[in-house]
Amino acid sequence: MSSLGSDAAGPVTLEAGDVARDADALERTWRDRPGFWGWLCTVDHKSIGRRYVVTAFAMFLAGGIEAALMRTQLARPENAFLGADRYNQIFTTHGTTMMFLFAVPMMTAMGLYFVPLMVGARSVAFPRLNAFGYWTYCVGIGLLYVALLTNHAPDTGWFAYVPLSETLYAPGHRVDVWAQLVTFTEIAALCAAVNIIVTVFKMRAPGMSVDRIPLFVWAQLVVAFMIVFAMPAVAAGSTLMLAADRAIHMQWFIPARDGDALLWQHIFWFFGHPEVYIIFLPALGMVTPIVETFCRRPVVGYGAIVMANIATAFFAFGLWVHHMFATPLPELGESLFTAASLVIAIPTAVQIFCWIATMWTGRPRLTVPMLFVLGFLFTFINGGITGVMLASVPFDRQAHDTFFVVAHLHYVLIGGAVMPLFAGLYFWFPKFTGRLLGAGLGKWHFWLFLIGTNVTFFPMHILGLDGMPRRIYTYLASTGWGPLNLLASVGAATLAASVVLFLINVVRSWVAGANAGADPWGAPGLEWAVASPPPPYNFVHAPVVSSAHPLWETSGALPVVTGLRTDRREILITTTFDARPDARHSSPHGSFWPFYLALCMGVVFIGSIFRPYWVLIGTALSCIGLFGWGWESSRPIERERVAMPNGPVVERT
Amino acid sequence: MHSIFAPASPEAAAVTRLWWWMFGAGLIIWLGVATVAVRAALAKSGDASRDVIRDTPTVTRRAERIVIAAVLATAIVLAAVLVYSFAVGHALAQHHADRLVIEVTGHRWWWEVRYSSADPTKLVTTANEIHVPVGVPIHLRLASDDVIHSFWAPNLNGKSDLIPGYRSALWFRADTPGVYRGQCAEFCGLAHAKMAFFVVAQPKAEYNAWLAKTSQPAEPPTDAVAARGDTVFMRNGCPLCHRIAGTDAGGAAAPDLTHVAGRRTLAAGVLDNTPENLARWIFDPSVIKPGARMPAFHLSAADMRALVAYLETLK
Amino acid sequence: MTSLRAHSTVADLPSVTFGQRSLMWWGTLGFMVIEGWTIALLLVSYLYLRQSAGAWPPAPSPSPSLVMPSINLGLMAVSIIPALFAARAGGRLDEPALKRWLLALSIVAVAILVLRWWDFRSLLVRWDENAYGTAAWMIVGFHSSLLLLDVLDTLGLTLFYFLRRQPVKSFSDAADNSFYWYFTVGIWLPVYLIVYVGPRVI
Repeated sequence: MSSLGSDAAGPVTLEAGDVARDADALERTWRDRPGFWGWLCTVDHKSIGRRYVVTAFAMFLAGGIEAALMRTQLARPENAFLGADRYNQIFTTHGTTMMFLFAVPMMTAMGLYFVPLMVGARSVAFPRLNAFGYWTYCVGIGLLYVALLTNHAPDTGWFAYVPLSETLYAPGHRVDVWAQLVTFTEIAALCAAVNIIVTVFKMRAPGMSVDRIPLFVWAQLVVAFMIVFAMPAVAAGSTLMLAADRAIHMQWFIPARDGDALLWQHIFWFFGHPEVYIIFLPALGMVTPIVETFCRRPVVGYGAIVMANIATAFFAFGLWVHHMFATPLPELGESLFTAASLVIAIPTAVQIFCWIATMWTGRPRLTVPMLFVLGFLFTFINGGITGVMLASVPFDRQAHDTFFVVAHLHYVLIGGAVMPLFAGLYFWFPKFTGRLLGAGLGKWHFWLFLIGTNVTFFPMHILGLDGMPRRIYTYLASTGWGPLNLLASVGAATLAASVVLFLINVVRSWVAGANAGADPWGAPGLEWAVASPPPPYNFVHAPVVSSAHPLWETSGALPVVTGLRTDRREILITTTFDARPDARHSSPHGSFWPFYLALCMGVVFIGSIFRPYWVLIGTALSCIGLFGWGWESSRPIERERVAMPNGPVVERT
Repeated sequence: MHSIFAPASPEAAAVTRLWWWMFGAGLIIWLGVATVAVRAALAKSGDASRDVIRDTPTVTRRAERIVIAAVLATAIVLAAVLVYSFAVGHALAQHHADRLVIEVTGHRWWWEVRYSSADPTKLVTTANEIHVPVGVPIHLRLASDDVIHSFWAPNLNGKSDLIPGYRSALWFRADTPGVYRGQCAEFCGLAHAKMAFFVVAQPKAEYNAWLAKTSQPAEPPTDAVAARGDTVFMRNGCPLCHRIAGTDAGGAAAPDLTHVAGRRTLAAGVLDNTPENLARWIFDPSVIKPGARMPAFHLSAADMRALVAYLETLK
Repeated sequence: MTSLRAHSTVADLPSVTFGQRSLMWWGTLGFMVIEGWTIALLLVSYLYLRQSAGAWPPAPSPSPSLVMPSINLGLMAVSIIPALFAARAGGRLDEPALKRWLLALSIVAVAILVLRWWDFRSLLVRWDENAYGTAAWMIVGFHSSLLLLDVLDTLGLTLFYFLRRQPVKSFSDAADNSFYWYFTVGIWLPVYLIVYVGPRVI
């Protein structure tokens, strides 16, 4: 194994001509085949990440349209814009789209695009699995939206409580659509999580020890672990329990047969609470590089922020019962969950105070990303405070299931996830596209978005405390809820307008925006060391890292390790903790099988909504795909060096 | 106003007090952090240098110490919330021996209300309206016949879910006479938005009078139109679902109608209880309450007038 | 473009590795953690339903039969042997031995899958009769899907070795396949104890 740290051989500056020749060879080796087939079969994490981001943003727009429809209906008492059935489908689809089809996929998409670049790798650990995850997600989108357009959208809420979602009260296939959609998004999230964990563990640039991993990557890593432990709960609940109760008359939740209606709530919220942190922590991971870059200094408290992420992840799994405080539970149990729900505020506070300290001791420049960071602070802290209130059982029993909670959740999700996401999109748009997003239009977007968010959701706190429950398609004028609802709807229109401005900005800038170059912001991370957009192979040679802010700490030539082949797709594997180069690994070319297998998943899970035998047909079809996948990666390769388990390294042909 | 800002019971008042303390503390914290953040963001806006700042150990240590202090302050506030909240919750969980027990069962989409009595002939069954004496601790025993519902009257206490297979409870003591509105707070299907109820808190004497009257069976109708309405009622299948004590109508699937004319609203708080609204409801319930399980009755105008007249005698 | 300087070379690093030095091992581990955790959640749900029920299995369902499940458990224990020897053969890059042990493992694995039919029948209750039947069938069923996947993986690997010359990394894949096999067998043990033995003993 090569060792690091000794320049005893003397630094050799690489000839520009040699580098260019290697770059050309790598370009030929790593680029996709041309045309539609190459596009379909790509396993390039950047192509997949980009389309994932675009698709997830499209889902944000879809969820936003659903919200606009809801706000139109609720703007006036006893409005007849949407009937009860349509409204119930739309609020269910809004929640399901935002939580399952926008928020988590967007965060994992940003991770899949940027983590390899930030750790100095050429790709993710399992490129075909990455493609499979994306296509599976697309199948889920198709299922839900075909259902919505054909009046079969689920209508029992994004959390589908039993017994309402059992066959007796929800006949037909609407809830089955929901249950299977959850499965598709869960599979996609797990594929992304495994990829991120193994990429971060085994494929970091030489010298990137654990205390030099960028905080964006730390957040993605911690969240990937959370996905591994949270997603199986909702998949088990939705597919193995609810769908099974509905399709083959299982008795998980039927009290008459010794089932239990509360089991659903426990299983769902065991996933559901970590889910919101799965959405929130990656957004926090975006804040650190933005604050560092625009305050011109490394973040205060790197170690504290790492520990805060880990602590948040652990605590997140111990809070779920706070969604169930209105159910008959023992008092002692409730108090424990109150305490846990309060304690989790502390690691989040640590991160926030570290960023404020960074701004205070830095030289902040109020670019559009920084504005969104400030917007995040103002909005999220409001949501965090109402969250602390809701942790109190007596208060929660008044506010639970009312518009107070709707206000809280939107303040933390919009403030804590969407605003940092917009900050990140403005920050990294140049890296995705090579262009800068317009700053003028960006500022308009920011202010309208901030104002719109507050005008929409602040009145909802009052509405909830004034007696307005959630998930109602209309209300009587005599309740007095009319005026604040109208105000909220006006706010929603403002929000929508701000998003339209963002879309205009994106289209204009992508086509004719200012050229960004590799590093328009003077940022510290490795992703800014490559061109914008990056070449298919990311780095000509893997960079050697000796700090947590590589581009700020290197003067003169950038040290790299050479020796990876340019005629084959080869990546570098490093050791887990101190990132010493350890092995080379063959990375796959484009493949049709991930797309094919995603379609087979569709046959299995969508077919099972209609007849159980589709499971068998889909499984049989999948076997073909698994065979093909295995076959294409079992082509013999000439001359390999094998590190045998008991020590020696031998050459084998 | 059915709102936590108008508490009518010591339970609701305790929670509202907790709310105001948390709101005050939250406001101060939000303003404090926002001010510091804005100051931090704007302080050096004049300095255009783009050089990367390298920390000195003193700056780092001071910054760390301030962050630690802020985090400790946060922890102290959270601990205070925990203690205060637990104290309120614990106090609310203390129950009185001398209480009035009322059974409430949730259905899609109405509330069945039953008052037990030592004398089995004096059982009172009504719907969507709960009369209680002022100043007496009330123990609501909650259950559900179908899906999860939630009983919530913000003036009186927090909510409690009605879960099939479980028994839950809600306690309160109405200290001020009044009519307190509540609404189902757990999504239960198409007409979830139209499942309200009223808690009517009356001085003891009025309550006792109401209870005595409501435990009486229905009087047979005396005038001809109402008598015709009685026949219309019996002949159109109404007794299959509805009960009128003292008659042959004994259905249990729908609200008890023995004293329907004395209630303030119809269809679980959706309509004011007037003859016109009653006729509209009977003619086609699903127009007023989508998904209502009561079928439409397209009676002739004369039959409808008679039926309504009969029902209006059931005070 | 910043200039680059060569720090060191990685051209001599191995291109095929075993165990935690290989990505496939980590992928296999990830899959095991996810599926194992899913079974843990199902078992916890089973125990939750059990503690809130009265009799268990709820009357009139009898306790499950232990005869066939115990035989299958024994067969699973036996299957560890070919799995272990296949992994060792892979680690020695010994292709003839690997092919023999993969074939042996394939045969035992298919036998276990066939006997799984009797594992279901031994529950003596249908999945739609009560919560015990539901939970037991689903847990055994979910494990069966893991078993099926492992059998397919083993058969596939064996087939590939007989169809064409395999790359050197397939030796490492065979070791990972044995790794997954140990998990499939190992995770069955708590299922067997809780779902089959539990109702009789506790």
